[in-house]
Amino acid sequence: MENYKRNFNEGNWNNTIDVSDFIKRNYTPYEGDASFLSGTTPRTDRVKKRVEELIIEETKKGGVLDIDTERVSSLLTYEPGYVIKEDDLIVGLQTDEPLKRAVNPFAGYRNAVQACKAYGYEIGENIKDEFRYRTTHNTGVFRVYTETMRKARHAGILTGLPDAYARGRIIGDYRRIALYGMDYLIRERKADKERIGERDMTDDTIRLLEDISRQLEFMNDLVIMAKQYGCDITRPAENAREAIQWLYFGYLGAVKEQNGAANSIGRISAFLDIYIERDIKEGTLDEKGAQELIDDLVIKMRLVRHLRTPEYNDLFAGDPVWVTCSLAGMCEDGRTMVTKTCYRFLQTLYNLGPSAEPNITVLWAQGLPQTFKDFCAKVSIDTDSIQYENDDVMRKDFGDDYSIACCVSAMKTGKQMQFFGARCNLAKVLLMALNGGKDEIYGEQIAPEGKVFDEKTLDYEEVLEAFKTYAAWMAKLYVNTMNVIHHMHDKYAYERLMMSFHDVEPERLMAFGISGLSVLADSLSAIKYARVTPKKDENGLITDFDIEGDFPKYGNDDDRADSIAKWITEFFYSELCKTKTYRNARHTLSILTITSNVVYGKKTGATPDGRKKGEAFAPGANPMHGRDKEGALASLNSVAKINYGCCMDGISNTFSITPEALGTDEDNRVENLTTVLDGYFAQDAHHLNVNVLNRQKLIDAMNDPTLYPTLTIRVSGYAVNFNKLTKDKQLEVISRTFHEKM
Amino acid sequence: MQGYIHSFESMAAVDGEGVRYAVFLSGCPLRCVFCHNPDTWNMTGTLMTPEELVNKVSKYNPYFKNNGGVTFTGGEPLLQAEFIRKTVPLLKEKGINYIVDTSGSVELTDSVKYVLENAQGVILDLKFPDNEGYLKYTGHTMEKTLEMLGFLESIGKSTRIRTVIIPGINDTEEEIQKYLMHIKDKKCIYKYELLAFHTMGFFKYEELKIENPLKDTKPLDVSVKDRLQKFVNSNLGKSIDI
Repeated sequence: MENYKRNFNEGNWNNTIDVSDFIKRNYTPYEGDASFLSGTTPRTDRVKKRVEELIIEETKKGGVLDIDTERVSSLLTYEPGYVIKEDDLIVGLQTDEPLKRAVNPFAGYRNAVQACKAYGYEIGENIKDEFRYRTTHNTGVFRVYTETMRKARHAGILTGLPDAYARGRIIGDYRRIALYGMDYLIRERKADKERIGERDMTDDTIRLLEDISRQLEFMNDLVIMAKQYGCDITRPAENAREAIQWLYFGYLGAVKEQNGAANSIGRISAFLDIYIERDIKEGTLDEKGAQELIDDLVIKMRLVRHLRTPEYNDLFAGDPVWVTCSLAGMCEDGRTMVTKTCYRFLQTLYNLGPSAEPNITVLWAQGLPQTFKDFCAKVSIDTDSIQYENDDVMRKDFGDDYSIACCVSAMKTGKQMQFFGARCNLAKVLLMALNGGKDEIYGEQIAPEGKVFDEKTLDYEEVLEAFKTYAAWMAKLYVNTMNVIHHMHDKYAYERLMMSFHDVEPERLMAFGISGLSVLADSLSAIKYARVTPKKDENGLITDFDIEGDFPKYGNDDDRADSIAKWITEFFYSELCKTKTYRNARHTLSILTITSNVVYGKKTGATPDGRKKGEAFAPGANPMHGRDKEGALASLNSVAKINYGCCMDGISNTFSITPEALGTDEDNRVENLTTVLDGYFAQDAHHLNVNVLNRQKLIDAMNDPTLYPTLTIRVSGYAVNFNKLTKDKQLEVISRTFHEKM
Repeated sequence: MQGYIHSFESMAAVDGEGVRYAVFLSGCPLRCVFCHNPDTWNMTGTLMTPEELVNKVSKYNPYFKNNGGVTFTGGEPLLQAEFIRKTVPLLKEKGINYIVDTSGSVELTDSVKYVLENAQGVILDLKFPDNEGYLKYTGHTMEKTLEMLGFLESIGKSTRIRTVIIPGINDTEEEIQKYLMHIKDKKCIYKYELLAFHTMGFFKYEELKIENPLKDTKPLDVSVKDRLQKFVNSNLGKSIDI
């Protein structure tokens, strides 16, 4: 064992599982520039070329290269797979062939069948047999769903709920495998089980003990899986290559077991940098070799695929996995957590080309070295592939060893997990309030019957009271719906492996979400500052509005409208907190829509802000397209006013600017972009996606995808290959506000 | 005291150094045929006091490092030099710099001088190299602009000169040579920047129902501008940082 620890500083991590302590005692902050970085090696070029060929083939086949329909995905289902066996530095694929997709029906059997069908495959007889007698998460949820929950879901007030697919968003602390080896981790978990077994056997204790036994089962499977690739992960990693490999095995096992919406890899750069630095000092690795290892890990991350239905793709477009990889940030002791390996991860965007995955997330802090800020800005301008989140704000609550899951969800690595909860369409709740609890599209009574507003100018106070009543009702229904979903997910599709790389009793967060924030804020502002009169259809349902006069709009740094947006989030969060959660999870809230803002818009009638029926919402916390009239910074300032304290699952904002508007030349653009990021985050804003490109380029790419085959853009919390979007999503992205110069 | 404000642009990174907040003031004495903001010609718009303006602007203070700040533009901002003069001390109190983007076509009053003296820098349009051009395309002579340039030189104010290059009017090296005669000997000029004529403001002419004398002119090919800019740079030599 001692050889693994050679030259490492000792500390609490030697007594107990404490990866953060290990990192702080051993990492080397880097304040220099990017000039040390290396390009690709001939080996990397060969693997890269093979991957490019495979992806072209995948695209040609309509997005799915192949499906193994005979077996159910798990850790030991498939024989080892390779991209190029003799060239792979970091080994391991989800199935026996690169990009071949696995069938994973645990969260929803019907979805698995339909996904196969959508790509011309039929699910194998043995799987059919097996799942005839097996309860899936989806079946469990629908056994319990009430009529009201079903109605709210059908109307699209609650949408994107993980009740037919796996919830995802849970990040195992895969670094533990490299640092401690599986033998130690298994031993510790067994000891946990003994200790907890001493408690009274309440429902909670019994459930936890069953969880642990399921974890142990998969921990053993992981050891065997690694052995099949010729690696002994029972012991700690001995060098950088092993550290990366051991960590990746943990991640790989997790994506074999689970097909959750987001499978993020966590915060691994400073950790891996320690091993790389040690090898370099010992003369067993050089910079070329170090970059090659990171390049190969990133290639593996880019190959992760799940089998999805077309309906799922409607919500989360572009086949995302959210292999979110969090970089940089500050250590609580004041040192930067930027290491050379942060640079190496960014460098993959040059070595391997721009890409949506991994979802590279820079934890921005005012105190980051300027050299690093400049390099990030340059990479953003060149590739549009990274997002920024405010470490100064998150560090206060999550410390300095948190990771981002999916787009904007922070959690302490290995110490917190989350129950993902999609989102509630609050714009629709307003319409429901005006219609006395009826859905404005179907006319169905969903909420308790209330007053239907007359075709007279709406009174703000009266509307606000009605909205509050229905939003409170909605919040309760939402929490209860989530409780059902996560109870069943734990029961039928529990994340055995991911949870085994958490503390045995992690803190749980229940992540609720809002969609339609800007539409609702502008609608309330219109009712308050202009004259809005509802119009009813032949059934007496309010389906349209007359708007006379102008009103302040969210996105112009105008407190009259922005304070409404801020109030909405605070009010809804406080209402959510009133209902008890499953497993005593802490309530959190996000303003994030990913690409589902298009679908939410489709399901929502005309709104009092002048938005037409079916028109797309703005993504996340963004102001509505074309309504921010005072330019980019005014728009940023508006979003910055939303209080992170009540939206701790993230406030997503996407910023698109043309290169010409950002600055006169490359140096000037880099300088201005870092200034904008510093200025935005200094106001405690949370998140920013940055795109520096021309609208015309997107139009050209839409008309002829071969012009820009790897065109990657940032949309609401993740990056996506523009060509993988459907036409209506491409049009929506094009219609978004681009900050241009006049 | 109130000023007429046409509009704001919170991210005007290209009109001066750093990240800039542009305040478009209303009113302009010129009627340049190639103007892309004809909607700012008249003295109309939102009335604001200096306090109100500075309150608004100071919300952008977090973005103003690296020499950023406010850019007074328009219209011709110095038509409201009195208003800016009242605003300047309030800006200084908040530690906010400003630059003035002017055509120079105003009298050098005390207020104008004060505003120029206290500016971080000045962007001065040199629209044409001679009176003939000025009279033909702007409706005024170039006398005041040259006077202002002389004043800026006398106080050593860091100045950027700008010229819009219009196809068929001034898009040749020969023409550019004439402009350079005014620029070469001025120590206060740190940059001479050429802008390509574009048609993105054409819709405003239609909206305002005013005749657009250049409606048949195409946008300038950016490569022509780049070539002329190179020509400028090589002529002005090293002393000018481009």
